[in-house]
Amino acid sequence: MEDRSQKTEKRGNDFEPKIVGFLCNWCSYAGADKAGSAQAPCPPNVSVVRVMCSGRVDPQFVLKAFTQGADGVLILACHPGDCHYKEGNIRSAQRHRLLLKMLSQFGIDESRCRFDYVSAGEGERFIQVTTEMADRVRALGPLNISECGMKLLP
Amino acid sequence: MKTGVYFCNCGTIISDQIDSERVRADVIEDGGNAAYFKTCSLLCSEDGKQFLENELKEERPDRVVVAACSPREHEKTFMRVLSAAGVNPYLFQMVNIREQVAWVTPDRDKATEKATRQIRAAMARVARQEPLEKKELEINPDVIVIGAGPAGLKAALTIAEAGRKAVLVEKSPVLGGLPVRYEEISPTMECGPCMLEPMLGEVLHGEYAERIEILTSSEVADVVGSYGNFSVKIRQAARHVDLGRCIGCGECITPCPATTNNGFNLGLGTKKAIDFPFPGALPSAPYLDPDACVRYKGEDCRACKDACVVDQEVINFDETDRVLERSAGAVILAVGSSLYDCTKVPNLGYGTVPDVRTSLEFERLMASNGPTDGELKTSDGRAPETIAIIHCVGSLDKNHKQYCSGVCCEYAFKFNHMIAKKSADAGIIHFYRELVMPGKDGFSLYQKAKDNPNSSWVRYDDIGAINISAAGGKPNISYTDSAGGRGGVAADMVVLCPAIVPSGASERLGALLDVSRDRFGFFEELHARVDAAQSKIKGVYLAGTCQAPMDIQKAVNSGMAAAGYVLSGLIQGRKLELEPITAAVDEERCSGCRVCVSVCPYKAISLDPAKEAASVNAALCQGCGTCVAACPAAAIKGNHFTNEELVAEMEGVLR
Repeated sequence: MEDRSQKTEKRGNDFEPKIVGFLCNWCSYAGADKAGSAQAPCPPNVSVVRVMCSGRVDPQFVLKAFTQGADGVLILACHPGDCHYKEGNIRSAQRHRLLLKMLSQFGIDESRCRFDYVSAGEGERFIQVTTEMADRVRALGPLNISECGMKLLP
Repeated sequence: MKTGVYFCNCGTIISDQIDSERVRADVIEDGGNAAYFKTCSLLCSEDGKQFLENELKEERPDRVVVAACSPREHEKTFMRVLSAAGVNPYLFQMVNIREQVAWVTPDRDKATEKATRQIRAAMARVARQEPLEKKELEINPDVIVIGAGPAGLKAALTIAEAGRKAVLVEKSPVLGGLPVRYEEISPTMECGPCMLEPMLGEVLHGEYAERIEILTSSEVADVVGSYGNFSVKIRQAARHVDLGRCIGCGECITPCPATTNNGFNLGLGTKKAIDFPFPGALPSAPYLDPDACVRYKGEDCRACKDACVVDQEVINFDETDRVLERSAGAVILAVGSSLYDCTKVPNLGYGTVPDVRTSLEFERLMASNGPTDGELKTSDGRAPETIAIIHCVGSLDKNHKQYCSGVCCEYAFKFNHMIAKKSADAGIIHFYRELVMPGKDGFSLYQKAKDNPNSSWVRYDDIGAINISAAGGKPNISYTDSAGGRGGVAADMVVLCPAIVPSGASERLGALLDVSRDRFGFFEELHARVDAAQSKIKGVYLAGTCQAPMDIQKAVNSGMAAAGYVLSGLIQGRKLELEPITAAVDEERCSGCRVCVSVCPYKAISLDPAKEAASVNAALCQGCGTCVAACPAAAIKGNHFTNEELVAEMEGVLR
């Protein structure tokens, strides 16, 4: 309960979460560009790191992001069956499921790390996913990493 | 290390929304890197590119960051400018401040902050980037084409016409695939051999024929290597007839004392142990079937050899099967397809009720070079008065194959037309689930069938509701139609139009070449719409019905398409350029656990047994990085997307 009060205090009224978005080059990054071409507002909280395939996202990147100050991490991939590299998105989804177990063991709310599918045509979906993520993490408040078991990580 | 940051205003699209002066102050203040910051009004314009090139030559930065539009738009453009200015193009990062900042961030302050964050991150990333070079690989421009049906023939011919060598591997002793056995081809009612003979003539004796090595009675037994350099073992069964010297007179056939079932007529009728597959088969030489020949059962028969009008060397009883080795840069799979096994729909009586035939058997029964010399008759020699044609046998059926085979309606109407020509009074009943005849000429035979006064039509929902049994030695059909009405009819002959399914060769070759197959067993395309003639293995291409059911026109076009991929990808006299964005294994760190081998979607990683370490084939690696993330020892580096580079970028955006 003590942690909670501390968080509430830190949250304040103008908390803006920092979110790292790992986007695959072929679908999700193109979907983000599509949102751009439509000139539709997206939450500026999400900073994009482009990878060729969501399968490249090492779960350690996510842990590292949290230890470096991220309040949330998004991993966006091609829809199943559409992966430019056949099945990298499936590998990424598998790793994400395992990663969530680990995060909850560290005491990190699972919704701080979202895996989802956004295709090259789904500009609106990109906006929806990033907005939901920003709202969710804003509601959770800042991630106080020193309170998590992750401080034990090197 | 000197980093040059170029900020493109994109006319005023970016500068209206992002304050470049504030970005400049933050970037310069950032220190760490000895950075400079310049703006340009439109960097992708001819003036802009010239500006950038001159700048780079003058400033000689160690690293370059361009903040502009999406890298999907102009990354390649600016990489070319870097190369032209003598800067390694991989020492470059592009920051997408148009699509992903200016256009989506209405608040100018927030947009400026976000742009600054992303540019700083790119500066941190680019500082860790390494110069990369495209590698070059010697290639073999020759091609192995497996299957000599219309698709394979067209592919081989196209390759040869372009001045390249093609090895055409055909498992049967005859070229032309299935359509060469058809009396007529829909929709124009051209005869099958007539349609294919010009192409066969070109392949066998045409201007470019010397560049096509034809291996009949042959199968690919082993394949090693990869795109650019395959080594293929081909097992060729002995024909016992010298193709180069036989004149195809057929004098050897008559004296042959042994007869056997003719597989080319699907067991309808017989042939001699030495015989043509069917009259007119090409290459024009008989072949000797040792399973049927009495000589191989211990008799000292040499009737064929004695009858040969050329000389005693043309027929060679001692010829043995041989294994040939050929090298090629690419493989085209054109192994065709089969028909769905009609015994899996047992209520239709195939194999148990007389005169229930598959469409392929019916093609041969109608063929002038077939077992009845083209005379339409039942198994007991009668001219049929009523013929039932059952469409969609196994197609469009969730209990069998869910897909529409796409060509069956067309040939069913062709059959209607052919039957009407042979026997003007014969009644023809079409049992159909759906009627599908797409394209600009599919309707013509359908219209003829509709106009044929002897045609009748029964639409059904469930093929299980059609029961065919033998009554008085004839097929008797009882059925429930789609409206629930029951009916019955005595037919003299039933023709089943089965689903088109992959042949056995697809499974064997798929395993041999690591080419994946879809849920129906057809070879899987790299992309089902825009890259349907490429398999997911680089250098292995798909032509004809081994990729999907298709008509002859599409099959021939796909043969041409496969040849096009080869001709544009492997260029004679030129080395293959390999992208440097690939994975690379640190052999010292690798424990040989093979996790990477199992996750690679391109079979690009193998274990080097000598080193007990994984090894990446750069010609096959597509640079997805899945293996990099999977390696438990961090022994694989993803070039241009290394852990250090990505973590630096991530830390940069979080600062």
